[in-house]
Amino acid sequence: MSGAQNREAVFPTRQSLGLMKSKLKGAQTGHDLLKRKSEALTKRFRAPDTVPEITRRIDEAKRKMGRVMQIAAFSLAEVTYAVGGDIGYQVQESAKSARFRVRTKQENVSGVFLPAFESYTTDGNNDFGLTGLGKGGQQVQRCRETYARAVETLVELASLQTAFVILDEVIKVVNRRVNAIEHVIIPRTENTIKYINSELDELDREEFFRLKKVQNKKQRDTAAQDAEMRAKREAAEKADKGESTSDKENASGGGDILGEQEDADVIF
Amino acid sequence: MEGLFFNVNNGYIEGIVRGYRNGLLSGQQYSNLTQCETIDDLKLQLGPAYGDFLASLPPNPSTSTLAEKTTDKLISEFRYVRANAVGSLAKFMDYLTYGYMIDNVALLITGTLHERDTRELLERCHPLGWFETMPVLCVATNIEELYNSVLIETPLAPYFKGSLSHQDLDELNIEIVRNTLYKNYLEDFHNFVNTDSEIAGTPTSEVMTEILEFEADRRAINITLNSFGTELSKADRKKLYPSFGRLYPEGSYMLSRAEDIEGVRIAVEGVNDYKTYFDQAGMGQSSAGAGNMSGGAGGDGKSLEDLFYQKEMEISKSAFTRQFTFAIVYAWVKLREQEIRNITWIAECIAQNQKERIGNYISVF
Amino acid sequence: MAAPASAYKDRQFLAVIGDEDSVTGLLLAGIGHVTSPPDSQKNFLVVDNKTDNAAIEEAFNRFTTERKDIGILLINQHIAERIRHRVDTYTAAFPALLEIPSKDHPYDPEKDSVLRRVRRLFGE
Repeated sequence: MSGAQNREAVFPTRQSLGLMKSKLKGAQTGHDLLKRKSEALTKRFRAPDTVPEITRRIDEAKRKMGRVMQIAAFSLAEVTYAVGGDIGYQVQESAKSARFRVRTKQENVSGVFLPAFESYTTDGNNDFGLTGLGKGGQQVQRCRETYARAVETLVELASLQTAFVILDEVIKVVNRRVNAIEHVIIPRTENTIKYINSELDELDREEFFRLKKVQNKKQRDTAAQDAEMRAKREAAEKADKGESTSDKENASGGGDILGEQEDADVIF
Repeated sequence: MEGLFFNVNNGYIEGIVRGYRNGLLSGQQYSNLTQCETIDDLKLQLGPAYGDFLASLPPNPSTSTLAEKTTDKLISEFRYVRANAVGSLAKFMDYLTYGYMIDNVALLITGTLHERDTRELLERCHPLGWFETMPVLCVATNIEELYNSVLIETPLAPYFKGSLSHQDLDELNIEIVRNTLYKNYLEDFHNFVNTDSEIAGTPTSEVMTEILEFEADRRAINITLNSFGTELSKADRKKLYPSFGRLYPEGSYMLSRAEDIEGVRIAVEGVNDYKTYFDQAGMGQSSAGAGNMSGGAGGDGKSLEDLFYQKEMEISKSAFTRQFTFAIVYAWVKLREQEIRNITWIAECIAQNQKERIGNYISVF
Repeated sequence: MAAPASAYKDRQFLAVIGDEDSVTGLLLAGIGHVTSPPDSQKNFLVVDNKTDNAAIEEAFNRFTTERKDIGILLINQHIAERIRHRVDTYTAAFPALLEIPSKDHPYDPEKDSVLRRVRRLFGE
């Protein structure tokens, strides 16, 4: 993981440094939040004691289903006994409209919408009301009730199971995100920040060095100029003393001012 | 007097059927069956009675295949008897099969209505109700065709005629069609045993009248009880009551007006037997559920349908005390059917580990 | 976050793939539904020894992916066993897939794909 590779492709400017810094902060906040969410969700799976809560409930419900379905199957055997024949085909053929239906409602668990099934029966249509009219009708009715109860258990179990599937999915996604933030985004952003910082430092140093150079040169130049001026002045003094003093003063003053301005500009 | 010539034509059959009757499982055998732990044990216990028919079953067969095989035995015996029957007895046995035919036809009508492949339906038909033209039913693709070209060729045609049109088949619930047919069938059968020149005035007509009257009453009571809370109107319900029986006509009339179980109880009060059943089943006073074996948690008390079955078996059993009668064939078939249901029930209890209810079978020997 | 409401608000039926007895019983409870003609789709499939696996799989696909009005799909465990690869790879939340016991085949939690998933999740 060399720093040059694991970073974002940005220009190392102060602006992008600012951006990266806020991004890192965002990632850390997000990480904390998601982590907490994941924990909250996992809690739905695991009871306070370390027993996996939903596993136990699903397990229980499935076992209950086994019993309920057995009772239901037995009541069908009673029907066969009472009717004295097989009603299967007729039942299959006379099924028209579902009396027993489900609707889904939502439950909000830490921001996850868990759908739950709810069974209801529609009134009015009764496809099998007359089944077993001649004989066995009472058994058929009772069998219907038994099976309706069994199906209710199944619906409950289905809710539980769907909740599990969705929670499982969501937790996976959240954990993936937490991990992504923790192991990819944060290090990457940090790397980028480091990179930008180092690049900026580098630039600073270069600039400093350049300035130094410039200053040195300036100083050298000024010194040379000063020397030259002095020499000139001395020569002029030697040549004609008191001649055009104002002229000289003007010229040297202008040069000085320019030089000083240059300096100041560079320093700032 | 009637015994003088009975054996000329029917003596052999009577002997055979009495032999079959002795092959029925006894109470002792039933209690052995209930001790079984697995279906294989059960199969072993049934060995002496059903040997050949169960031999081909795989280990631990399902209860439905067990029922199938035991029915096979009944079918093959019935066919043998039928093949040896002549004259009125042959006709009598044909009448016996009409009841099963009605179920088969109802099945085929349902299939045709839903445009199912009727060929696969044929496999589901009860073999006793098989009639020659039945495969032809498969050619009919719509209900009108079925009615006009196929059903009128069947022995059931008279039962359709006059009470059901092809529109009815389309519109009415199949259960109503079935029960209408069954009512017509019972009336026809009743008429037959009382008017046929060879049967009228013999013990056959005497015993059969008792059996059929009971059957008619049972159906009337059941239909009434089962129609509560359904869309079946009182007028329609009335049409399904056979026009004979011990309840007919006053009881039937009262049944047709009954609105709840209490009403039914009052309607049957005139017949002591049924009144006793109602009291035994604990119905009438409270509106507790009818029906046999009263659910998973139910008590030990027998329900109305149980009592009816019990009664049917007793009538069938006593039919064997008479001589020179065809009724023993009918009784034997019914007893065997009950036996099959008993075996299936016991097998079901064993297979599903519901031993506490295993004693609900009906044994009369 | 989770499935959008549109994914399940129309799901009001149960569907079943099972042996004759299971289907009969569940139909008696009133779950049977046949859509209006002409396509008249049933929401149940009866499987016997003669039904081949392709037909089961087709019904499975129809109930799980094609039809949008099914909330819960019930399947007999011994039949799920026959198309186990499809059942195991089925992960969608809707419709919920439930393996149910049948009369002749008592329920075996070891084979249930959802329970196995639960167990795997907790490393049991």
